[in-house]
Amino acid sequence: MRLLLLLLPLTLFAHMNIAVSYPYIGAITKSIGGEHIKTVVLARGNWDPHFVVPRPSLISKMRNADALIMNGGQLEIGWMPALLRRAGNPKTNIGSESFLNLSHHVKLINKPTTVDRAGGDIHPDGNPHFHLDPQNIIVLAQTIRDFLISIDSDHADVYKNNYEKFSASWQDKMLKWAEKMSAKKGMKVIQFHNNLAYFNKAYGLDNIGTIEPLPGIPPSSRHIIKTIKLIKDKEPCCILHDVYHSTKTAEFIREKTGIKIVLMPHDIGALQTIEDLTSLFDYLTGAVQ
Amino acid sequence: MKKILLLSAFCATIAFGGTDVIPVENRTFAQSKFMPDISLVMDASYVNRSIADDEVAHLEVPGVAHGLLGSHSHGGNTHTPYNAKNGFNINYAELVLSSSVDPFFTMDGVFHFSEDAVEIEELYFTSTALGYGARVKAGKFNSNFGYLNEQHHHSWDFADMPLVYESFLGMHGINETGLQLQWIAPTDTYLMIGAEILQGENTQMFGKDKIGDYTTQADAPALFVGYIKTSFDIDDTTILAGLSYAQGTSRIDHSGDEEPHVFSGDSKLYGADLVVKHYFDSYSFLKWQSEVLYRDMDGTQFNLNPADTTAVLTSPTVTKKQAGLYTQLVYGINKSWHTGIRYDTIFQNDVTSNGIDVDKGNNFNKYSAMVEYHTSEFARFRLQYNRNSALYDEDGNRQDIDTIIFQANISIGAHGAHSF
Repeated sequence: MRLLLLLLPLTLFAHMNIAVSYPYIGAITKSIGGEHIKTVVLARGNWDPHFVVPRPSLISKMRNADALIMNGGQLEIGWMPALLRRAGNPKTNIGSESFLNLSHHVKLINKPTTVDRAGGDIHPDGNPHFHLDPQNIIVLAQTIRDFLISIDSDHADVYKNNYEKFSASWQDKMLKWAEKMSAKKGMKVIQFHNNLAYFNKAYGLDNIGTIEPLPGIPPSSRHIIKTIKLIKDKEPCCILHDVYHSTKTAEFIREKTGIKIVLMPHDIGALQTIEDLTSLFDYLTGAVQ
Repeated sequence: MKKILLLSAFCATIAFGGTDVIPVENRTFAQSKFMPDISLVMDASYVNRSIADDEVAHLEVPGVAHGLLGSHSHGGNTHTPYNAKNGFNINYAELVLSSSVDPFFTMDGVFHFSEDAVEIEELYFTSTALGYGARVKAGKFNSNFGYLNEQHHHSWDFADMPLVYESFLGMHGINETGLQLQWIAPTDTYLMIGAEILQGENTQMFGKDKIGDYTTQADAPALFVGYIKTSFDIDDTTILAGLSYAQGTSRIDHSGDEEPHVFSGDSKLYGADLVVKHYFDSYSFLKWQSEVLYRDMDGTQFNLNPADTTAVLTSPTVTKKQAGLYTQLVYGINKSWHTGIRYDTIFQNDVTSNGIDVDKGNNFNKYSAMVEYHTSEFARFRLQYNRNSALYDEDGNRQDIDTIIFQANISIGAHGAHSF
């Protein structure tokens, strides 16, 4: 009995341990949850979000989580199922009250009309990199607020308050970013993989091609020649390049065409200076010249 | 009445026959949304070996194992290892079905189709709702003993099994029917403890069935496995280490061999594994993987008369203390190219017969190198070279065998999630 009493305060004051797949989700969740939650980020921000190493230490993180928030849209298909199975944690099981799939709460674009792997390693539900539209950050924050209230109604007021604060300051920043980007509307860009689709849509950038011939298929020489011709014909401003693919092919294309290469971080931690969501969008909106 | 029947038959035809007439979600009893995840993996190879197929089947690792490379039969079963024939081999088609059953379980079925047989490779259900880090699995499955044993052939880094695994446990490893309980400690460092109660049907090392009139039937379940595994990260390097133990009765039927014999006794198998994987970026890595196995077998060997295998010639007490290891280094250059080397050895082979040492040799080695190309996550082509200096012919002469294997491993359907 004495032992129970000793244990009791610990459980009463313990923070809710929320596992999240990517750093950006951790940042939003922390903004809304504040001091009542602890976020455990599974993937690293500077690596390919499609290829996260399912290190056994992540099984322990999943096993000890009180809730799980994932990106969804099949971005985690190659690594998370194995962790969920090994961890055997009913709180993180798909469909449980403390499980949240964010992709079910935002509108996905680029949904393929035909689903066939001859078209590369496509995402059948649409493009899952939706957090790069700053408007979606508000939607995601709302979703996470409602989720936190549903699993911890005692602190509903705190979560509502935190959301209001977050949303107000985010709206301000969005105005600033929109202003910065207004002159760049209609600019043509090339990417390695179309992971900036939502950012481009938000600010009216026109993605005219990718260096990889099809999603997940490494660049072939035939496709590189095609891309060089495309750049010469259409004169896009730059190659917006992710931080995790090698820039070797992009550099070769630059040599042939003189096109600029701009490194575009996709998440917090993708570059050392990207420490939070604000600096991520500050950087992205400032990088496109 | 007749009209109504005709009409409903007509409606049914539209509903279930004409697929694009009514959308799936509006078909009252349509169940296609409950389709489990399905994938099909094929493994095929072209093999060029420096020795003929009929000769290779007669070779052995003395005192350890017979016929590792070619087809051979014992106990009425024919075993064809992968890449058995010179020329083209279709090793298997693996059909995997998996889905949630209800809020409490998932179920997985792994079916192995070879050219003339179908095997249930795995068929099990797993708990998902126990909590407290506990998980129960029941059915037929690959034991989590060691590191390699649980993985399917197509996720190995080499086309063939390490010598020590194949010699001790056969080409399927510990693949048994039974119950598995695993518990993950509530710590930041990964710590997993597991126990398995298994039927004990491994034909190479364990087994429980009565063979001939001279052995006894052992009680089932006859095989018990336990292990502990831990893992931690140092920056971009992950270290996974494990200790495993298996203990069971042995009833090994070699009555169809050229020197027919049957072994009946008790066996223990000890394993230690270490995997160190360093990541340079999302796609490039260096992986060092090693396992040591040690086995201790104690029983009676019934040497049979080749002319009449019901007649026991001698029945000495035999002990075997044998150990081997493999160690391999794989470099993932990028998403498309991987290359690796492996060293295999059985370095201890202490066999006694009625307490007297029997010298069977203890210098069995194999060297392998491979390079593989992935056109995507779903297709892999591998070129592997093996030098096998572990096999001896009937006259006790070592045969150095060179093998080139060109392996194609292709999968369609559901996207497999990678385990570490």
